[in-house]
Amino acid sequence: MLDFLRKWFDKDHKSKAVAKERLRLVLVQDRIDTRSESLETLKNDLITVIGRHMAIDTTAMDVTLRKDGEQVAIVANIPVLSNQTNLMTEEK
Amino acid sequence: MANPIMKQLFSDGDTILIEGPLRSGQCVTFDGNVVVRGDVNAGAEIVASGHVLVFGALRGMVHGGACGMESASVLALSLLPTQLRIAGHITCPPQGYYEHAGHKPEIARLADGKVVIEEFLA
Amino acid sequence: MGEVIVITSGKGGVGKTTATANIGTALAQMGKKVVLLDTDIGLRNLDVVMGLENRIVYDLVDVAEKRCRLKQALIKDKKLDTLFLLPAAQTRDKTAITQADMTKITSKLREEYDYVLIDCPAGIEQGFKNAIAGADRAVVVTTPEVSAVRDADRIIGLLEAAGLKDPKVIINRIRPDMVRKGEMMDIGDILEILSVELVGIVADDEEIVISTNRGEPVAKNDFSIAGKCFRNIARRFNGENVPFMNREFHVSFWQKLRSVFVK
Repeated sequence: MLDFLRKWFDKDHKSKAVAKERLRLVLVQDRIDTRSESLETLKNDLITVIGRHMAIDTTAMDVTLRKDGEQVAIVANIPVLSNQTNLMTEEK
Repeated sequence: MANPIMKQLFSDGDTILIEGPLRSGQCVTFDGNVVVRGDVNAGAEIVASGHVLVFGALRGMVHGGACGMESASVLALSLLPTQLRIAGHITCPPQGYYEHAGHKPEIARLADGKVVIEEFLA
Repeated sequence: MGEVIVITSGKGGVGKTTATANIGTALAQMGKKVVLLDTDIGLRNLDVVMGLENRIVYDLVDVAEKRCRLKQALIKDKKLDTLFLLPAAQTRDKTAITQADMTKITSKLREEYDYVLIDCPAGIEQGFKNAIAGADRAVVVTTPEVSAVRDADRIIGLLEAAGLKDPKVIINRIRPDMVRKGEMMDIGDILEILSVELVGIVADDEEIVISTNRGEPVAKNDFSIAGKCFRNIARRFNGENVPFMNREFHVSFWQKLRSVFVK
């Protein structure tokens, strides 16, 4: 009987719904964090590969993950050192 | 990880006296007789070349006469082992054993090639 | 100088994290300064049970690896000003910190807080060894089930070998109806086997599931049976002699009715 009354008064705030939402958010966060660990490795790999094609300023380089709702994007800011490149004249 | 010899109370070469309770995962191996003052919990083991006496509840695994001494015995105030071995004989409690056992001191020994358990009357 | 208490069990899933969260909450409600420390690196849960999962910036490994100061990693509880959480790292594993790290961190925390409650991971390996490293005393959580009691016994043996003498036990998820029918071991049976002192009994309570769903420890809930049990345990931690009564398992009909209208 008491459970029935409880359901009557508590319809919108069922703890199951709260739990689902919290779990969803915490898993998104966990998955991003895991990717952050490999960001360092990614950054080093990028330095190696891009460095083969042009000189880059590795000290000013920035590689991060940006969270946009549920989407995650890699945002890389890689300053190029002007001299040693043959790609500079091509406008992309 | 746990060194049961820390709990050793007494040893005169032939016999070692251990302070119980012996807990799950702890093992006493001794060339001689082993006496435990306290319980031997399930998951604990005693392996002795001689006799084993437990002044408490024996709920673990016990091996008396582990080097082949068939006259070895295992005595406990409450005999409720998971497995009992004497010399080369291994026994497990039969179905329903625990429901009626453990209420009085009992001694296990080999007789006619089998492990027999009888009430211990001093 | 505060006390560092590790809450362990051996077996997983018996209620260590719930116990840590609730006893800590109850102690803070009594005005004590409390830090909850999650050492389950890689599988952290104390943050979720406390409802603080969105507020984590730094964690235990960050502190150990000196990427932040200890204070920066402590998260204050949503409502209780004297309750703090030091969360575990989620993306590392239990090899990320050492026993020396733990001893250092707990020493610092001991200076400022009345109680440091360490939530120990399941198992007996590095995680367990780390969790007990800085502890003054230990509390073992078990349930009235053969496997749990067996693991508790193992853990007690390891605690004693590590110098943590006289661990106390909490028996969790007691179902008085099953005990009465003889289908569940009772407290006496368990204590006879474990040969340690009892510090608490917690009844099985549906409110625990609901409280974890919401991230609000049940010790804050006046109408929860388990909440009452945890509050009593906190009082016992604090030295009070709270008798174990059957009344621990009775929430009156009127209290239950009130809980429907008051939330």
